[in-house]
Amino acid sequence: MAAPNQTAPAVADLLPRIRGYGWREALEAREATIAVVLVVMCTVMSIAYPQFRTLGNAQNILQAVAMTAIVGVGMTMVIVSGGIDVSVGSALSVCAVVVGMRLQDGAGVVEAIAVALAVGTAIGLLNGLLIGVGRIHSIIVTFGMLNILRVVSFKATGGKWLSGVPGSLSYFNDGTLLWLPFAWWMAMALGAVATYYLWRRPTGRHLYALGGNPETARLAGVAVLRRTIFVYAITGLFVGVASIVYVGGNTVIQTNVGVGFELRVIAAVVIGGTSILGGKGTVIGTLLGALLVGTIENALVVVNAKALYTGVILGGLILLTVGLDMLRRRARET
Amino acid sequence: MIDVPAVRRPRADLSVSAVLRFLLIERWVLLVILLGGLIAFDGARVQDFLTYDNLAGSTAFAVEVGILALAQLLVIVTGRGAIDLSVGSAVSLASVFFGECVTKFGLSLWPAVLLTVLFGLGLGAVNGFFVAVVGLPALIVTLATLFAYSSLALVITNTVPISDVPPKLFDLALYWHGIPRQTLLVYVPVIAIVWLLMRFTVFGRHLYGLGTNAVAERFAAGPVVLARFSAFAISGMLAGIVALVTSARFASARPDAGLNLELQSITIAVLGGVAITGGVGTVPPVVLATLLITLVNNGINLAGIDPIWQQAALGGILIGSALLNSFAGRRYGAT
Repeated sequence: MAAPNQTAPAVADLLPRIRGYGWREALEAREATIAVVLVVMCTVMSIAYPQFRTLGNAQNILQAVAMTAIVGVGMTMVIVSGGIDVSVGSALSVCAVVVGMRLQDGAGVVEAIAVALAVGTAIGLLNGLLIGVGRIHSIIVTFGMLNILRVVSFKATGGKWLSGVPGSLSYFNDGTLLWLPFAWWMAMALGAVATYYLWRRPTGRHLYALGGNPETARLAGVAVLRRTIFVYAITGLFVGVASIVYVGGNTVIQTNVGVGFELRVIAAVVIGGTSILGGKGTVIGTLLGALLVGTIENALVVVNAKALYTGVILGGLILLTVGLDMLRRRARET
Repeated sequence: MIDVPAVRRPRADLSVSAVLRFLLIERWVLLVILLGGLIAFDGARVQDFLTYDNLAGSTAFAVEVGILALAQLLVIVTGRGAIDLSVGSAVSLASVFFGECVTKFGLSLWPAVLLTVLFGLGLGAVNGFFVAVVGLPALIVTLATLFAYSSLALVITNTVPISDVPPKLFDLALYWHGIPRQTLLVYVPVIAIVWLLMRFTVFGRHLYGLGTNAVAERFAAGPVVLARFSAFAISGMLAGIVALVTSARFASARPDAGLNLELQSITIAVLGGVAITGGVGTVPPVVLATLLITLVNNGINLAGIDPIWQQAALGGILIGSALLNSFAGRRYGAT
């Protein structure tokens, strides 16, 4: 910060701020808007509805949004780097079905986890290779994979539901550690690592460069192919993690697992302030975005709103949050 | 800027690379080849495929998703990540609106039809307002209206389809010399109008200009806000038209009429060569892509294969054709 009463600004102040991220910037970020909306909503709900302010309900919310948050961390990296992955819902169903079948065949916890992570990573790697090596736009590849993977999971089970899946992974869904659901701890841990990576590691910064301008990034020496494959593979890996959470909570795995999941994840990421055009966004925003969506849905149940209204209110609040942020930004610029 | 001597176009460059380049780079040529291959393959292998009645009749299934693919073309072409995820939900809500018009409000058929189309226009205008006037990203806006519209459709009907739709509407799903009427009376005119709009009107050129370079378009005094707004509004209007077609085909107004249509329509638009980054895409390849997917599905049905494979075929064709285009582009020079 420049000293007061200084006539000419110091050279350091004229340089773009790379390291300095003070409270002022933090307050002006999209994350702050969402955090405030979240806090206001929770406060109002807690005062009006005693059943909302219980620890059990907070755990419910966190448990419900954990899967969205976990995959959202990967999706943030994908969208920041200028791509998109709409295949995560179908990928989730493939992972869940494969893990469920392994568990039915008597696989142990370690094997089930290994299988989930391997299948997820393999799917992500395939996406990344098609996008990076095949040089096809990510939305084409992942739209195609959305359809193909859905058929794969359908065919794997012969179109039937998997029932009687052993609950040996249930700790990953409803287990709690220090009052919070274990699944949410996983989301936060992955989020913390990803935040550090995106914020401090050179290759993490490369993702922003890639999203801002791929050609400039390439000329500046960013390994475009490697970064591209990496972000999709890591998203696949996180889908594998999410599938562990899913299988842990369901003894019956239906054929329509993860239908619409991609939209929930993208909604969380975009509400969290990540620009869909790439080059801008944070993982913390995504976690807050996922929390906001989950809290809204929970609040609707608590106030006993007709379940059918969820979409209207969810859609309205998405527009409201993002619109508010836009207006705030405009007011600041003028 | 570039010193261009008189353009010399080689009259008939029939070298292998030139021919391959033409076949693989031009999207519509690729689609025609795929379509021809499919018809030959299915015609030889699948009974009753290569009959007039089957080929003409199968177009009934192309109408709805085909019109929505054209709606995506209009929107995606405007660029800046524009996309309309809400078309499917808009179809559902417009269907319900139509059903309510003719049952609860007792309107006769034609006023109800007109109002439904206008209602669709209104739904699209909501998207257009938030995207073009307020300036929010299209993906967020249409994601929000996707949730909102489909949920409203379910709330209004309490999830029960409205089945006492005037029987006169069902005439739309009848056949004229083996051709479904909705193809002739709705799909073909819509194709023609959108094609004329995109190709020959100033408005259409503004859409391409906007998608190619929005800043340049603004400096060229193009109606940036109005064009972007109109693209979404027209997309909604087309969803309203599709709502009428589905109501005629199902003989009822269903609150889930448009389920998953957004993904299918985007997939077909992309297969038809619409660049997701904006500025690129024309009507004929999108129509060809619609026909291709419809006939693939038809062949799978007739051959008695599990219809789930339709979905895999859609994905496979999408990625396969993009891969082919990409590799051909690099090998023989992109256009």
